[in-house]
Amino acid sequence: MNRLKIVLAAPLLAFAQLASAQDAFKLEQVKSGSETYARHCAPCHGPRMANPEGASDLRKFPRDQRERFLASVSKGKNAMPPWGDVLKPDEIDALWAYVATGGKN
Amino acid sequence: MGKLLAGTVVLAAFGALAHAQTQQELLRDGNGGSTDNVLTYGMGYHQQRYSPLRQISKSTVKRLVPVWSASLANEFGEQGQPLVYNGVLYAANVKRVVAIDVATGTQLWTTALEWEPAVARVVCCGLSNRGVALYNGKVFVGSVDAHLRALDAKTGKEIWKVKIAEWKEGYSITSAPTVANGVLMTGMTGGEYGVRGFVDGYDPDTGKHLWRRHTTAGPGEKGNETWPAGDAYLRGGGSTWITGSYDPDLDLVYWGTSNGGPWTATARPGDNLWISSVIAFRPKTGEMVWHYQWTPAETYDFDGNNENVLADIMVGGVKRKVLMHADRNGFLYTLDRTNGKLIAANAYVKVNWAERIDLTTARPVETELAKRLRAGEKVEVRPRWTGGKNWMPMAFNPDTGRLYFAMLEEASVYQLNKELPVYKAGERYMGVENTTAPRTPGEPWGYFGALDPLTAKPKWKLPLLDLPSWSGMLATAGGLVFSGRPTGEFVAIDEDTGSIVWQFKTGSGINAQPITYTHKGRQYVTVLSGLGGGTSAKRETEGKVLPGGSVWTFALMPD
Repeated sequence: MNRLKIVLAAPLLAFAQLASAQDAFKLEQVKSGSETYARHCAPCHGPRMANPEGASDLRKFPRDQRERFLASVSKGKNAMPPWGDVLKPDEIDALWAYVATGGKN
Repeated sequence: MGKLLAGTVVLAAFGALAHAQTQQELLRDGNGGSTDNVLTYGMGYHQQRYSPLRQISKSTVKRLVPVWSASLANEFGEQGQPLVYNGVLYAANVKRVVAIDVATGTQLWTTALEWEPAVARVVCCGLSNRGVALYNGKVFVGSVDAHLRALDAKTGKEIWKVKIAEWKEGYSITSAPTVANGVLMTGMTGGEYGVRGFVDGYDPDTGKHLWRRHTTAGPGEKGNETWPAGDAYLRGGGSTWITGSYDPDLDLVYWGTSNGGPWTATARPGDNLWISSVIAFRPKTGEMVWHYQWTPAETYDFDGNNENVLADIMVGGVKRKVLMHADRNGFLYTLDRTNGKLIAANAYVKVNWAERIDLTTARPVETELAKRLRAGEKVEVRPRWTGGKNWMPMAFNPDTGRLYFAMLEEASVYQLNKELPVYKAGERYMGVENTTAPRTPGEPWGYFGALDPLTAKPKWKLPLLDLPSWSGMLATAGGLVFSGRPTGEFVAIDEDTGSIVWQFKTGSGINAQPITYTHKGRQYVTVLSGLGGGTSAKRETEGKVLPGGSVWTFALMPD
């Protein structure tokens, strides 16, 4: 009986987490992130994050590593140049909204 | 008095000769000069990348072994061609210049090229440096932050440094400089950032700026009428990121120019001279003499930068001074280099944007597909924007009359955006969405080939099934052609049959430019290993090859 409860609860829990992740980002934030992405990121990371041209596949970027994402974008990492002097913090936040939702909000 | 004067003249001439000795050597490099030296990008002003050496030949190549290797401590990729002078090899990458004793591999000096990490924002396609120039005891090198330096060839110490342009406005240098007729010249890159392309001339002794040859025609210049009214030419592209070749007899430098800015031609109606062209100009002044445009109204990212190889070949029973060029757009061209007139142009890979190059008008005849693309439709374009051939240089063997190069067979899914891009200094200026079309399994991803320059007909083509090659070629009188694979194999190909007769696996991928020379009577072959410098190699080899730069030098094992 206990087992059955857990099995039933698991999909509900996953659904709840997904919903809360989506709730965290506003539609206009994702849209603004997609515009910044198309201008600055798409040439190396691929249009709409598909078919990356030499840079990492952002569709695989861990959704629980927001801080790492923000640091890599603003300060750069390996071949990734720093963008902190070009993009404002709210623009980088919007980029994260776009990447974390897979642009599907 | 007359005698005294004559004596003074002789002395002065002698002094000038001693001083200009290197210029004489530059003229003779790859042109009957000492095989102990490699003094120019392309192994000769003609950029034939051919050596008359035959110690390493089809019959002896089985004894070819590495004699030394040296790290270049660089993860961004090695695309460079080293130079050799008096037993010292000079190699460069985006991070440093290194001088090495060719006999032992011992490092003599290294000089760092420092630049801010943010510079990577304006280098579209990989942080790279394709080599140095040598002249009068100095080593000249460009850097990705758009500076040009002169180093002391003996010590590596900086003698002078000039800023050629502002990297924050999208300008950088990835190509090797060159010295012709006493003038130091450099190209630049930035065609993805709305730059105005140019070649710059400098005094090699002092770094004093002598002239700037812009590659988009401004007001008052012939060709300006091919641009819309206004200032589109100021952001029109035409960068110059491959070193030009030089004909000392005609005193003409031949330099290729890149795609237009922005990528979408809808923003700049007209042919847009002199983008996607070859321009012929005077090294002393930068004065334009002629031009030929490979891709008028270019909108495909078909840069016209690929090397222009000079040779005197038979055309219809007459020996002609020609220029040979395999363009990104998929056509192999032969021009008369005295006047820029088209002699031949034939497709060397699958091409669907143009039916042919019309020999009467000297212009491409665009297909229905190209018209649909220009009208805004999403289409599959061949070749892909990276071209049927990219920057990796070809070799020309004057004995066989053939060109040897690596070809790429890929298509893009390409669409011009409805909205025109907004220009902002130092930011991408494109207006296009481009992705790679899926490849048909089993079809070659590229070829090594030996082609006739006038017909593009192959003597042989070696299909590359697993990965294409982004390596330059070297042809020798030993009947061999040297090149490399992204998986690291340095290969020797039988120039007659196209079969790989020898190979050695180096430390990383090879996407560089092999050279050969002699030292104390022994023939050496040197190549840089180090995956990267361009975006595609990384995409293609993902998970298969690690980067890391090094120099590899080979010679025959004694009996």
